[in-house]
Amino acid sequence: MQSRIENLLKNVKVRDLALQKDHRIGPDTPLAEVYRAFDEQGHGAAMVCSGDDIVGIFTQRDVLNRTALEDLDPQTPVSEVMSDHPVTIGWNEPLAESIRAMVEGNYRHMPVVDDDGRQVGLLSTRVILRFIADQYPEAVLNLPPRLRQVMTHSEGG
Amino acid sequence: MLCPNCGYDNIQGTDLCESCGSDLAGLDLVEAHPGFRGRLMTDHIGDLPLISPPPFVQPDTTVAAAVSLMREARLGCVLVQEGSELLGIFTERDVLTRVLRPGKNPREVVMSEVMTADPITLSPSEPPAHAIHLSAARGLRHLPVVAGDSVLGFISVRHLLRHIHENVLGET
Repeated sequence: MQSRIENLLKNVKVRDLALQKDHRIGPDTPLAEVYRAFDEQGHGAAMVCSGDDIVGIFTQRDVLNRTALEDLDPQTPVSEVMSDHPVTIGWNEPLAESIRAMVEGNYRHMPVVDDDGRQVGLLSTRVILRFIADQYPEAVLNLPPRLRQVMTHSEGG
Repeated sequence: MLCPNCGYDNIQGTDLCESCGSDLAGLDLVEAHPGFRGRLMTDHIGDLPLISPPPFVQPDTTVAAAVSLMREARLGCVLVQEGSELLGIFTERDVLTRVLRPGKNPREVVMSEVMTADPITLSPSEPPAHAIHLSAARGLRHLPVVAGDSVLGFISVRHLLRHIHENVLGET
């Protein structure tokens, strides 16, 4: 017998979630532009596309690991620091499968593709956690007050 | 209460079936079903393998040193401490928004200038659902866990996802 949340995770599909749509950038996009987009939009990743093809992904973790101390020219194209050929997830996969893929691959973002392999959006752990959080509305009522800790921006903003 | 062995309809609360003598005690208790899963609302995060040990730095640690620590330890945050007191948190996102974007030098800027002071924390007695809510609602990818004066470590979205995968979905 499955719990309700387990049932949901195994039946809701990736395409039913609120995927990130403003996530695509070209391989020549300069780092300064990517930083600006990450900062202003609050996202943690961008999908690098050449025409309809997904050629790479560049994430917040890549900023930490590949650019933070390297004193790179801000005009450096993102293609030079991105991860090539990211693992994708099909839009008809159940949420549980996307969770498996993220845990096993240690990803926080995955491009989502349709039945023809075309990208339709970017899936993030945040979107998944938001879906799960929405199944426990009572948790919000139980949250202890953290009165002085009102964040008006997402982490680091 | 129907005996599962012979079907005899016993009086509710009988310990033994009056027809075949089968043990009926405990059948009317709520049974933890096979594959009992972790409960996101009732587990305590302190009881689960969810908390990573705190990667501590000092208020005068440079951003460059903190980044090196994060790279080596494969982490997305450091906790800024003075003595045993948690002063703040500095994350991979802060590297972007507070150092790289304003064009600051990571070798000169120190934690106290760019950390989030007095960060949102969790207590080990809170359930995973609280961590999930805070993370989803406020965009926090790393949450320090504090018990009184003691900093136990932090929870990250990766941990939460792994917990859901292993304990809600039952995958190991």
